[in-house]
Amino acid sequence: MTVFMKREVARRVFAKELMDSTYAMRDEGEKSPVYILTPLGLKCNRVFIIGALTEKTDVGEDSSIYRIRITDQTGSFVGYIGRFQPEAYDAIAEIDVLNLVAVTAKVRLFEGETRKFVSLRPESISIADAESRDYWVVETAKATIQRIREMERGEGENVKLAREIYGTDVEEYRKAVKEALLRLKEEYTVEEEEEIVEEEEIEEEGDIDFDIEEEEIDLTELLED
Amino acid sequence: MDKVESLANEIYEKYKDYGVDRKEIVEKLKKLLLEFKVPESEAIRTMNNYIIREYKVPREELKEQFTKIGDIKEAGKWVSVKAKVVQLWESGSPSIAQTGLIGDETGVIRFLIWAKANKQPVVEGKSYIFRNVVVDDYGNVLRLNVTRISEIEELKEDIAVKPIEDLREDTEVVGALVAIQQNSGLIQRCGEEGCNRVIKSGKCPVHGKTKWYDDLRIKGVLDDGERTYEVIINEEGVKELTGIDIEKAKKMAEENYDRGAVLEELKKLLLGKYLKVVGSLTPRYLVAKQVEFYRPDIKNEINELLAELEEG
Ligand SMILES: [Zn+2]
Repeated sequence: MTVFMKREVARRVFAKELMDSTYAMRDEGEKSPVYILTPLGLKCNRVFIIGALTEKTDVGEDSSIYRIRITDQTGSFVGYIGRFQPEAYDAIAEIDVLNLVAVTAKVRLFEGETRKFVSLRPESISIADAESRDYWVVETAKATIQRIREMERGEGENVKLAREIYGTDVEEYRKAVKEALLRLKEEYTVEEEEEIVEEEEIEEEGDIDFDIEEEEIDLTELLED
Repeated sequence: MDKVESLANEIYEKYKDYGVDRKEIVEKLKKLLLEFKVPESEAIRTMNNYIIREYKVPREELKEQFTKIGDIKEAGKWVSVKAKVVQLWESGSPSIAQTGLIGDETGVIRFLIWAKANKQPVVEGKSYIFRNVVVDDYGNVLRLNVTRISEIEELKEDIAVKPIEDLREDTEVVGALVAIQQNSGLIQRCGEEGCNRVIKSGKCPVHGKTKWYDDLRIKGVLDDGERTYEVIINEEGVKELTGIDIEKAKKMAEENYDRGAVLEELKKLLLGKYLKVVGSLTPRYLVAKQVEFYRPDIKNEINELLAELEEG
């Protein structure tokens, strides 16, 4: 059977978890790529993210490198796009800040003198729509919850190593996931309220009591801890 | 027919040549399952051992019941199969020791060996008996799970695997289109009869300079965060997603004096989008038969996840 080159999977991880990472590792064998180990024990070399492009700055000579910042519901990713990544470089030139973008990127650990930090090296970047972004948050929340569970069970080499290195407090990440989901939920609740208002306008006098009741229910759900 | 009756029938069929009493089997099963509430697999094991002992069934004559992979249709069943490891994939989770595809002459199926099962690793290309493995359903894909009570035994014989081209089983995959390869878009294919190979720099790899025809396709990577699929989307699928068909693509190429313009446009429209693809999964490619933008019920998903977080 032919052995195919294994492509590294693009992991789903929120900015908080990835940007909290300070540890890089390799598998056995010389050809192993470099992986980042996150505080929740995810070993990743490539990520797929959807977020808002909040900064785009030329930092190289003759606009040869863009420094970008992509913000999700938990924090921001920082990335660098140079001419040696032509696909992403050509694409970013045409995308303005404050657009939603989908990015597939390699992750790198820079080791500065005072601190280590993770940055992205995007392979592709494109304009994204809000629906895709919402599903990304859902998917990433799901993956993060699974990692939290695995860390709580304390099984697996990477989980043990991550706990040793970071002394991870899983509650911190559980909270971040919850906040991300609530932020998203808010958006859907607001949309529904708008729909109700529109219907009322069309039908003149709707069942006002009923609508108020429903609004109250939604609000309590939002406030619940 | 209730569960006891159907199990009793299975056991009776297996041992009827040894003079077993069907009524006795039913009574014993009732006791085990209804009174003692032991799991079904334990009840079967107990019955097997009892009959072998009482009726002096020679163990070596006992034919193990193997299920053909093509017959595995529902989750929740415990089966034993003889199969070859067709492919191993990178495990995305520390709780999974190994995962991939196994197959026999009737089909292939995903399998996973849980880390907790604590088994010797299997090797790609080798054949094994997978004994007492349980079928589950993961995102509409059936999988065989090797757990602690399962056994893996290497076989000397080589199990023939149904040629992948013959597999008609469709798989559904939802993932992000994270890459579109260069040989996508408006491509040229060799016009020699039965060839259809993609022409690179004006030449067919087999027929050299030759007559050709246009085709529109996407060769890309669909990634669900756990594994990647090399997906192929044909003209029909491209049109379904983007409204661009071969005629439009040709016009686009003419207007821009560049066939690459089509690829650029497809990248703009599709990179980073979530797609739901139904198609046949070969070891190398996911060949799309149906493709659409994935639009789940986000509100429902959020509520489910929040509820899961509440559980702690
Ligand atoms: Zn040819």
